[in-house]
Amino acid sequence: MSRRATTLLVVVVLAAALASVAGDGDLLNTGGVPALREFFAAALHPRVDRAFLQVVGDAALTTLAYAVLGTVLSIALGLVGGVLVSQTWWRASGALPRTWVSRWLATRALMAVPRGVHEVVWGLVLLSVLGLDPLVAVLAIGLPFGAVCSKVFSEILDETPRAPFEALRASGAGRLAALLYGLAPLALPDLLSYSAYRFECAIRSAAILGIVGAGGLGFQLALSFQSLRYDEIWTLLAALVVLCGATDGWSSAVRRRCTGSRARPERDRVLGWLIVAAVALVPVSVVLLRLDPTVLVQDRARDLTVTLAQQAWPPEADWGVLVSLSLDTLMMSVIAAALSFAGAVLLAVLAARPADDGRTVARRVLGWCTRQALLFFRAVPSPVWALLVLFVWFPGPLAGALALALYNVGILGRLMAEAVEDLDRRPQRALLAAGVSPARAFLYAGLPTVWHRFVAYGMYRWEVIVRETVVVGVVGAGGLGRLLAEQTASFHYAGASATLLALIALTFLVDLTSAAVRRSGSARLSSRAVRSRSERAPGYRRSPRTL
Amino acid sequence: MRLFTFHLAPVRHALALSVCLAIALLTSACGTSSAAEPDPVLRVGAIPDQDPEVLQRLNDKLTRHLAAELDVKVEYVPVTDYTAAVTAFRVGDLDLVWFGGLTGVQAQLQVPDAEPIAQRDIDAVFRSVFIANKASGVEPFDDTAGLRALAGHTFTFGSETSTSGRLMPQFFLAEAGLALTDFRGEAGFSGSHDSTVTLVESASYDAGVLNEQVWEDRLADGSVDLEKVQEVWRTPTYHDYHWVARPDVDERFGDGFTDRIRDTLLALDPANREDSEILELFGATRFIPTEASNYQDIEKIGREVGLVR
Repeated sequence: MSRRATTLLVVVVLAAALASVAGDGDLLNTGGVPALREFFAAALHPRVDRAFLQVVGDAALTTLAYAVLGTVLSIALGLVGGVLVSQTWWRASGALPRTWVSRWLATRALMAVPRGVHEVVWGLVLLSVLGLDPLVAVLAIGLPFGAVCSKVFSEILDETPRAPFEALRASGAGRLAALLYGLAPLALPDLLSYSAYRFECAIRSAAILGIVGAGGLGFQLALSFQSLRYDEIWTLLAALVVLCGATDGWSSAVRRRCTGSRARPERDRVLGWLIVAAVALVPVSVVLLRLDPTVLVQDRARDLTVTLAQQAWPPEADWGVLVSLSLDTLMMSVIAAALSFAGAVLLAVLAARPADDGRTVARRVLGWCTRQALLFFRAVPSPVWALLVLFVWFPGPLAGALALALYNVGILGRLMAEAVEDLDRRPQRALLAAGVSPARAFLYAGLPTVWHRFVAYGMYRWEVIVRETVVVGVVGAGGLGRLLAEQTASFHYAGASATLLALIALTFLVDLTSAAVRRSGSARLSSRAVRSRSERAPGYRRSPRTL
Repeated sequence: MRLFTFHLAPVRHALALSVCLAIALLTSACGTSSAAEPDPVLRVGAIPDQDPEVLQRLNDKLTRHLAAELDVKVEYVPVTDYTAAVTAFRVGDLDLVWFGGLTGVQAQLQVPDAEPIAQRDIDAVFRSVFIANKASGVEPFDDTAGLRALAGHTFTFGSETSTSGRLMPQFFLAEAGLALTDFRGEAGFSGSHDSTVTLVESASYDAGVLNEQVWEDRLADGSVDLEKVQEVWRTPTYHDYHWVARPDVDERFGDGFTDRIRDTLLALDPANREDSEILELFGATRFIPTEASNYQDIEKIGREVGLVR
């Protein structure tokens, strides 16, 4: 796609989406301002008595443990899946091109299945197979994240220089051996970097998985939320902010040391210890959750799986209705993605702290405040945002989009700020030396070089937003999420499986679209990318990856 | 090119250590879990609609009482979601659950021979309250047909499977000839009774419906702004919350165990301080007997509304 065609397409889709979700009449509701004020006023007097802090502390540990084990599982699945979904692996199989390409496409499509289902939905499905077991939450995070990891890991493997791999193959090494010794070492910094990012996502997921009996901060938040105990909600949110902040800090450090422009992972002692610290959490988590994987192989799990499969298959739906609801969901996700993209670009520029510029004190303070705001945006789960939005916004798809946008601004803004920090500053310095104002220097010499990364992040996030439309039911947003909630509430498994199929199809569609847009963005930069590739240390990653 | 040859050595050690630990844990876990059930544990769950956080966090009062009276091990399993609770009950991970009217019916349908054993005194004559924002122009009315005044307004239920916040109100709306499509926009699901009050008070929704008990409670503690929101109608009475036990508890804990649970619950005495604390967690003054036939209407309405299949 040419650049102009892409721009036109984006504008048309946005306009159509806005037209479809804009309801009749008023949007803003001033009547809810007192309720909103009451909520924020409670931030000044959170509930901090000893008994409650004990509850919150235990819950935070549980959430952390789920996130740790969910991440470990997803990385393990990702390593196996990543190899199986990579072109490198299939190409080296020795089969004819037509055969290996079709096999590769089939495995790739298969990976879209777990990805299209939100962690909360996974939780409910697993609950009906495994019962109330800590494994439910671990698997609910690990399975969909494992599929995401597979996809990203495969892209990493395919982008890694293949010469050592080919050399080993030529000298008779097997596919797996060649991969382990020729490809894996070169890809390791990128694999590590992405795994670190997955961990911070897992913390946020673990925080909303409470409803399926998993416990943790999500469970406590759901409880306090049901009776609107704002003072308790604030204490729990504070715990979430601390937990997210710490994880994000750790993940930033790891990623910067693995794949940043100044990274030397092979010489980095601190990186080693950062990883050891995380790995040490694994056995602690297993003990804390009293995890017992044997439930997976018990007869009950097998029988319940068979029963569930029989109830859920064949899928049953009014396909016409399903298509129209899918469109609603798609439109809502487009608006949410566009809003969060725009907001994130603005905030990221404020939040970034480039290494070497002489920023004024006021600018530093503003930057710090923006970073804390972004942390708050992403630490507050989207169902909470949905209720807050509803205080001052009339119900409808736009309210749903707004709630999702607020949550995702926090995630996108941070990623984009990192991209800005990681930027080659030389062109900007040249302009500054010529007397151009800092803002202008950034606009003309900074922004153009990070823009393709911004777009890539935004596109990846869009796919996630499609899934997340499932968890903002309170706003009367309709779409597939509403239908799915109704079907799970009435245990209509055949209907739910049809709705999930629609969501999976939607995810795959968005995946294809975003891949096409990202390609059109990076094509323009390819000449530069090729040049810079030769200048970088091995393992430096050109294209950003986050989901 | 030297890659990860030395400095990630601590990683390798830690990995090896954690693998050893995991294996040790797994083997020990296998040892305990494969044994038959020598010392069965009664797993109890409860999701009250009112102040759920109080019960979930103070559940040891209930478990200690049940354990002492029934002389078995009792474990409280925290769940916040009714769908999750029904599922856990079906697969056998919860033995005794405090369900709402609709979810109790769903549980009884999914576990044949599961028995409703007790309800609160107020559950035999439960009602829902329709409320409206004063600025919406919806005025109080006194019969089911009056619900038609809600047409063209925005409206929110409580949570999807709530009997008093969803099922019965939807039934009465249907009786009045009002379809969900007659509201302005999609009907909302606020998620809880308290949220419904707040969202109607803030005029985010013109009108909503909630459980009588929560409404009375909010009126009593003065946390409702009656300048902004008013009660427009109270539904006729119906049966709501009740305890349901799995049929296999008699087999696991001995004949007549279901009856012993029932007796223990019914014997909770509001005059006794410890007992009354437990009753208070459920917003009850007493538990009274109940039977499956009390919920036939709910099942019928559930089928009409599409929540029971």
